[in-house]
Amino acid sequence: MARQEIRSEITGSVWKVLVQPGAKVGPDDPLLILESMKMEIPVTAEVDATVVEVTVKEGEALNEGALLAVVET
Amino acid sequence: MSWKPEADDLARRHAYAENLGGPEAVAKHHSQGRLTIRERIAGLCDSSSFQEVGKLTGKGTYENGELKSVVPAPYVMGLAKIDGRPVAIGGEDFTVRGGTSWGSDRRKGGQGGFVEDLAHEYRIPLVNLIDGAGGTVTSAARRGHTVFPGVHGFERSVQLMSEVPVVSAVMGTAAGGPAGRAILSHWSVMVKGTSQVFAAGPPVVERSLGQKIHKEDLGGAQIAVDQAGTIDNAAENETDCFAMIRRYLSYMPSNVWELPPVVDTGDAPDRRDEGLLTIVPRERRQPYNMRKLLGMIIDRDSAFEIQPTYGRAVITSLARMNGKVVGVIANNPMVNGGAMDVKAARKQTHFVQLCDTFHIPIVFLVDVPGFMVGLQAEQAATLREGMKSVYTALQATVPMLTVVIRKCYGMAGMGTTDKNGLDFKIAWPSAEWGSLPVEGGASAAFKREIESAPDPKARLAEIEADLRRFASPLLTAEAFAVEDVIDPRDTRPYLCRFIDAMQGRLATTVGQKLRAGVCP
Repeated sequence: MARQEIRSEITGSVWKVLVQPGAKVGPDDPLLILESMKMEIPVTAEVDATVVEVTVKEGEALNEGALLAVVET
Repeated sequence: MSWKPEADDLARRHAYAENLGGPEAVAKHHSQGRLTIRERIAGLCDSSSFQEVGKLTGKGTYENGELKSVVPAPYVMGLAKIDGRPVAIGGEDFTVRGGTSWGSDRRKGGQGGFVEDLAHEYRIPLVNLIDGAGGTVTSAARRGHTVFPGVHGFERSVQLMSEVPVVSAVMGTAAGGPAGRAILSHWSVMVKGTSQVFAAGPPVVERSLGQKIHKEDLGGAQIAVDQAGTIDNAAENETDCFAMIRRYLSYMPSNVWELPPVVDTGDAPDRRDEGLLTIVPRERRQPYNMRKLLGMIIDRDSAFEIQPTYGRAVITSLARMNGKVVGVIANNPMVNGGAMDVKAARKQTHFVQLCDTFHIPIVFLVDVPGFMVGLQAEQAATLREGMKSVYTALQATVPMLTVVIRKCYGMAGMGTTDKNGLDFKIAWPSAEWGSLPVEGGASAAFKREIESAPDPKARLAEIEADLRRFASPLLTAEAFAVEDVIDPRDTRPYLCRFIDAMQGRLATTVGQKLRAGVCP
């Protein structure tokens, strides 16, 4: 079991948080949807993982590289 | 009467050259996952194709006129073949004095030197395998004076940028001159974990700034490739690095007076991928996978992405269509909604120049809402870097084909068409364009009318729907202000016909390009 940080690859804001701590996600399941330049950008763990923590709230503004969530793989 | 004794002496001297820094130094080098320069050349080039030049260079030790041993020069170079085509190739060997430069009468390579003269005179690609520490302060003691910077300068290296493909692979820790040499290339690559590149390494950084930092954190692939874009691509290991160099060169002509090789990719030019009909969501706010989309259009498995991890709002990829080399520039809606930020602009500028220099036609797959906005973007000079990419595109003379997939707005959209040529642009039914999108625009332009309506929300929706009627790309096509709107599945056959047809024109406009004026 390894902890992995999910960081924002873009500047924008948090549109929707789709998972709670404890949720199991597949590589293509979105954890959150960010909004940037009027687009809804899904964020996935890219691997099978369990959500440990979501570190942002809906509506929160983000810079590139901001920590979004921590998952365990 | 024979020259056998002399031939035997040459063989003995060659053995010293092949010994490099000696078995112990080589074993240590291997244990770090790194190869010697001779192993690298053998691993990269066609089997037995290496004709070394200057194998006798080194420092001999003599006793009573008898040769006792030779310390070979660290720089090994010569002529070789990659995929049957000649290249000039050279590099330092780290096991010999850390690959530091050697004070020979005529320089072998590294910055200018015989190997670069060879690439220039014979108009063949240059491959630099960089693993050297550059100059050494001991040379001042040997010469009795210090050397003005640039006495063995980059003038030939700069000249080569408009003549032949130059590839640099950083295969170890490169600082100063060797690091600079790597940047003066059309394409550069480094190996994850075993190579680093910086203006100056950790000891100098600590002396100058008091910062203690490990070389991997200062100039490893994560910094140099992913964050800074100093080096274009990262390889998993040295073998992967050689495969990438061969692959890159397969898209390149031998020089700017020739066209890139055409190969049979076995993919029918009239193939229509059904997936293209559904890949763009009808909901305008939802992005899609542009890499997958471009993969359906180009020849199967022909993509070679340049700078895949840097400036990810745009994808720049060499590829083939009906066997001919093209450069694809595709906006990536997954990053900033495809908006051009500083990094994407730099990446696009470099790629357009690369394609223009080597007569590689450009295919734009456009989905760009404009330049990136916001304080961070302004502080980073997005406008200036963005206009630089527009300037470069408007100055280029290589043919460009434009397919508007979804958005084409503003100044970033302006730099996506062939203004010096046919100005050929076609669109998918999902395409939209203009100086700004309807949302936001409508509420500002019709503010009073909306506010005075009995139901302002309904009135705004009416106005937006009314304006969106004009947004259909078909109306622009009726006016022939866009050359066509096509079934997305027809993209590949349509483009392949134009790329086939332009080959004759490309052959008549080879040669060096003059880029006059001042880039903003």
